[in-house]
Order: sequence, then structure tokens, then C-alpha cells
Amino acid sequence: MSAAAEVEQFILEELMAGSAVVAIDHDEDLLGTGVIDSHGLLQLVTLLRERYGIEVSEEALTPENFQTIAAIDAFVQRERGSA
Amino acid sequence: MERLYAQVAERPDATAIVYGDERIAWRELVERIERLAHGLADRGIGAGDAVGLVLRDDPWFVTCFHAVTALGAIVVPVNPAFKQTEIAFSFHSAGVKGIVSDERTAGVCERIAAGFDAPVEVITTTAAHGQALTLEELVERSPGQHLAPRDPDEVFVYQFSSGSTGRPKRVPRTHGQIAAEADLYGALEIGPDDRVFSAIPFFHTWGMGACLVAPSTWGATVVILEDPNPFLLKRHRALELIERERCTVFPGVPFHYQLMAEAPGSADLSSLRLCFSAGTALARETFDAFGEKFGVLVRQLYGSTETGFMAANLDADPVATFASVGPGIGDVDFEILDDDGTTLPAGIDGEVTVASPAMTAGYSDLPDVNAQAFAGGRFQTGDLGQLDAEGRLTITGRKKLLIEVGGYKVDPIEVADVVTAHPKVGEAVVVGVPGKGPGEELVKAVIVPNAELEERELIDFCRERLANYKVPQVIELREEIPKSPLGKILRKYLV
Repeated sequence: MSAAAEVEQFILEELMAGSAVVAIDHDEDLLGTGVIDSHGLLQLVTLLRERYGIEVSEEALTPENFQTIAAIDAFVQRERGSA
Repeated sequence: MERLYAQVAERPDATAIVYGDERIAWRELVERIERLAHGLADRGIGAGDAVGLVLRDDPWFVTCFHAVTALGAIVVPVNPAFKQTEIAFSFHSAGVKGIVSDERTAGVCERIAAGFDAPVEVITTTAAHGQALTLEELVERSPGQHLAPRDPDEVFVYQFSSGSTGRPKRVPRTHGQIAAEADLYGALEIGPDDRVFSAIPFFHTWGMGACLVAPSTWGATVVILEDPNPFLLKRHRALELIERERCTVFPGVPFHYQLMAEAPGSADLSSLRLCFSAGTALARETFDAFGEKFGVLVRQLYGSTETGFMAANLDADPVATFASVGPGIGDVDFEILDDDGTTLPAGIDGEVTVASPAMTAGYSDLPDVNAQAFAGGRFQTGDLGQLDAEGRLTITGRKKLLIEVGGYKVDPIEVADVVTAHPKVGEAVVVGVPGKGPGEELVKAVIVPNAELEERELIDFCRERLANYKVPQVIELREEIPKSPLGKILRKYLV
């Protein structure tokens, strides 16, 4: 499963549990819509660490890296590429 | 509206709102409000009608808030991050006649409106979902109309307060009560030279009072942080905005101050003359860290949905009294009562009760709850606290959160204070969880450790400092304590 698909599944199951949504557009704004709040962000950071071994630095905690599934996927690819 | 008209008369071209690159002068803001009010009136909105607002914090929110209330209609602002059922509950309780949403919440609002028997019109800020009517159109096509002062007894706002009944309670406050709260903010000497940094939501009583009502009353500029959540991702933008706009007043919550203090890099926040923390107790560590990093001391402030702003620590040197929320402001009068309703002297803990010209007369449709919560014309806050000899209030706990263990009552705040004192504990919350017998609870500590922590060592640490029945029987380690947008701990997710 690609990182984008895995992140989408995580968001659907963990952050949007109970909602009727079954798929998320990878360009949908996750921050403005409140899908990722402070608590969800920390869960996501944990997922990236446990699943991909990515330690998200303080500097990397920016809206640009977490705005959309596509942005998160790009961030994962960059971090894996630089590892 | 009288106060907004006064701003136009005295400083028409001064900036009322900063939002991103947009700057809106008082004259322009009032013109938009007048036009929108006319447009809403044309759609049948009038005095006594409830209008729901499901908007993020932006200039539209400010415009709608003032337009609705200037018509004598009742504004019902809700958290746009709420789920449909939560918003629907509030709007059915309020009996809304119209709903204003933005492109993010339009779909949810349309579904909620469809659940009403009477027609409820949904108006969006822009035409994102093909809605027939947008605020933009209403403002563009409507002529302005001068808006007359409202009667002080007319209802201004419905907000919702949680606790004790299982469902949120509707809190009506009148024009007179909101004007009284605006006057209380005068004690902070907010004026036209101030720029208020707004990171707390307008839908909440703290944001509504400090960032909407007070600035429009006293002529201060509001600098709105765009989409402030999650604040962990927005703290750099917050620091940048405060520095760039030379903000002077920052109403926040402990979470804001903590995350800003922990942010990499620094910023020049020397323009800040008042930082107020409310919503929950400010930890000494946060007070120290923010003060050391930015050279600005955070003061505690006290308010509630039922009363609005009540008290603020305005001491010349707030270091010694950092734990206090200060004395009641103006005519706000605190009394500390014991369980029998007897007034307690300074230095003794009891329930904080308050009388204030800004407080609601009672919850809507809940006479039995009101008889207790507003007994004797005083609001029983449910907070525990004490006054000092100078009348400063210090909040020490929350009456309603006591945990029942084997006939004893355990104050979770007391246990949490002990747990947090362990050097490997970063943050802790203590809650009651169901035990084996009926009505029996277990003490559960939810811990965010800052080092590897063995359950045993924490139990031993507590046993040294607490009676056995107070020692947590359940310990859960987490990476974060779930909190509301205002930093209040969401206990329901911990039990």
C-alpha cells in the first residue's frame, strides 16, 4: 500500500471514525476543515514514526507538510529519500 | 451598534480588522454591517429570530455577528469543527430561522436545515456549493441602513454550556449583559492604540468577549490568526503576526503559551503589554517558559459562558500572584461558599459563586437546574477556589469532578498535582472510571511521560504522598492529553 493510501486509511479510521465518509480526495484541505486537529496531528506524527521511521522535527511541523494527503505523501517521500 | 458608530465618527480610516493581507477600516466594516443587516432583514430576519453562525474566524464572522445582533436577532455561534449532530442539537434548541455558513460547512448546514419543520434558509459566504444566496450578494445589492440601538433586555446571543445535565445547556445573554461585559473589559484599558491578537475562536465566550466585543467597544484593531488549528502547526505564523503587527494584547489559553514557548527559534514580542490566559489553569512551567523566552508575563483571567469575563490578574508584579485570576472586575462580586451555603472567609477553599451585571439570568427551559445553579441571584460556578485578604481569587479545583471511591470523595486535581510532581511526568489528568460496584469509581491517571516511566515507581511515589484511597488504580500512558480548541481537557476521551 502506498503512503498516501495508508495515510488516507488512517485518517478515515482514526480521525474520522463514525463519519459516513469512505474516501478522501488527496488534495482536500485537512487542516481548514478540522479533520486534522492538534490531537490528530500528534497521532499522525506517531504513525509516521512507527510506520516509516520518520522523526518529524519541530521545523517540519508546518501547514505545508500536513495540509493534504498529497502533501503528507510528498513529505514522507522526501524524508525517506533523505534517510 | 452605538459603539461601532462611535468608532466611525472618531477614527473612520483606522484599521478595525487585519486578516492576512486584508485591512478593513472602521468605516468600511460598518458599511458592510449596515448592508448585510438590510439584506438579512429583506430575507425575513428580524428581532427575536435566532441565526446560527457556522463560520471560521474571519471578517465575515465579524460582519455577520454585528449585523445579526444589530437587527435584534439572536446570534448562535457554534464550533464549525463540531459534527452534524452536535450542531443540529444547538440549532434545534435555539430554533434558528437562518444559518450562515462558509464553503466548508455549507453541506452540513443544508442537511441540518432540512431536518427542521419550518423553512430554514442557509446563506453561505461565497457560492461554493451552488447556494442560491450568498453573503457577498447580500452585501453588494443591499443599501445600507442606519441601525438603531437595541433594547437592553433583548436577547443578544445563545451559547452552550456543558455539564451536569448530560446535554449542553442553552445560555441566553442580553444586549444589556453583553454591554456590561464590554464595560468590564474597560478595566484592561484596551483602546484605539491596541492591536488584539485573536487566536481563540469567536464562537466561544472568551473569543467573543475579548476579540469581538471588547475591540469594537474600545476601538482596538483585531489581528485575526487565519485557521488557527492545529495550533502546533500555526505557532510560527502566530509569532510572525504578533511581531509584524506589533500586537499589544494577546488573549490565549495555556496551550498557546506552552507551544509558543517550545517553538524553535524566537520572535520579538516586546509589543505585547497584556497576555491573558483563560480556559484552564496556567501551569507555572508555562508561565516561566514563556516569560523567559519572550520577556512577557502571562496573566490569568477568569470567565465562563454563563457570566462572560469576571476577573483578571492586573497586579503590577504578577510573578508572586501568578496562580491567581485576580479580583472581580468592576461590579463582579465573588463569594466563596461551603456545602451549606455559608460564606467562607479569606484563605478557605469553597465553591466560587458570583454576581455580575454581565451574567445570564439562567439557562433556557431548565427551571429546576436554574433554581440550584442561580440560587439567590448568584451563579454557582462549580469551581473551587479561595479569596485572599485583598480579594484576589485563586481557582483550586472543580467541585463537580469529584471521584467517589469507597465512600470517599477524591479530588482529581489534588491527585493530578501529586502525579505531575513526579520528575518523569510531563502532564497528567486524573479522572474517575467505573468500578465494580454501582456508583463505585476507580481513580485513573492518564500520563504524558517525559522519560521512560514504570507504573510501579509512580504508584510508590503517590503512596508516599496520598492516602491509599486516592492513589490511582489505573494508569494509562499517552502521547498527548486530548483538549478542546480552548485547551480544556476533554475528559470524556480519558475514561
